[in-house]
Amino acid sequence: MSSSHSKTSSSVMSDHIGFLGGRIPTEIEIMSKHLKDLDKESFRKMLKVVVNGIEGKNCNEAMKSIAESSALSEEKLSHVVAGMYVLLKEALRLPVSSLKQEAFKEDLRELRISEDFITDFASVVFGNRRTTLETAAIQQGPRLPGLEEFRWRVDVAISTSSLARALQPSILMQMKLSDGNIHRFEVPVSKFQELRYNVALILKEMNDLEKRSILKIQD
Amino acid sequence: MASIIKETQSIKEAVTYINTIDVNKLSRLLSRILQKLHLKGERSFSEEEEEKLQSALSLEKHALHLVLETISFILEQAVYHNVKVASLKQQLENIHLTPDKAEAFCQVWTTTGPDVIEKIRQGIFAPKKLEHIGWQLNLQMGQSTQAKLKAPHTVLDLGVREEDGGESLQHVFVGFNHQELLEFYNKLEMIQAQLDSLT
Repeated sequence: MSSSHSKTSSSVMSDHIGFLGGRIPTEIEIMSKHLKDLDKESFRKMLKVVVNGIEGKNCNEAMKSIAESSALSEEKLSHVVAGMYVLLKEALRLPVSSLKQEAFKEDLRELRISEDFITDFASVVFGNRRTTLETAAIQQGPRLPGLEEFRWRVDVAISTSSLARALQPSILMQMKLSDGNIHRFEVPVSKFQELRYNVALILKEMNDLEKRSILKIQD
Repeated sequence: MASIIKETQSIKEAVTYINTIDVNKLSRLLSRILQKLHLKGERSFSEEEEEKLQSALSLEKHALHLVLETISFILEQAVYHNVKVASLKQQLENIHLTPDKAEAFCQVWTTTGPDVIEKIRQGIFAPKKLEHIGWQLNLQMGQSTQAKLKAPHTVLDLGVREEDGGESLQHVFVGFNHQELLEFYNKLEMIQAQLDSLT
């Protein structure tokens, strides 16, 4: 572990590692120094912008207006914003079950962050916004293209060049994926049964897995 | 049933050749042609095989071609109209095939005909067709923005073949979480209900 940071985590934290890990991220350390120069109102404005940013909203304009009206230098502002962002990201990574509000507050006190600011940070991490932030976090994760739109059609071939009376049903499927690709293909009835069977099977496996994981893979 | 095979000049000529072929050899010939009937654009025999056939059946090249084409035509007509065996026999006798040769047609028709019709029925026209279904079930444990997750996900692998795509399948991979997969399944159930209403 880096010795330059052992100072902050020496006495009290020696037997306890906070949610930020053994080594406090540089952004957070720098932020905690600059927070002293920040009034409560500016702090709240900035926190709001950072939260919006985490939710994936565009914050360029809001950021600009803060920079114009603030007494802090642009450099200090960027340090604070970066620190807030890293702090919230780290806290939101952990489920509420493994990071309790009190532990979170305690960790921030050790960074010498003032009680008012701690309350504001905690209200973001543990407040009403939590669900929205978690949903945003899940959506921002990497994933394979999903099914955005699914259209289908059932046709019955009445006759063909080889058969006067075919009367053969078939299914045309059109899938639009979230990466924008559109796939259109015919599904013979026997293949359709196979697809339906397999999807039902996966659903069953998922149910089993969810039951099992609640019982066995406890945090 | 109306006549499905008109006794034209070339049919007449072909029938005289077919009547000279040994009935056992004819049976094997018929069975091979019928089995390959559903393969679009593929010849029943290779050039090399045709040369061997010429000597085995003691036919000139032109005569052999006429015989093969006529047999294919008769069987294609039988498939198209889905004829009953008694009717086929009658039709063949009408174009003056000897009874033992007509019987050979009827036998192969009885044993292989229904299969071939089913294969042709299944061979729906489609530039792309679903051919392979694979899947993988994953339990997501964490990601860059979230620790300690326990979220099941599945990836469906839909192997789609293009009509002239040769050997290679085009793989469409689609990711689903539990809720998304359930919604997809409900749509498949709607399709199933639609299919059920047809019968």
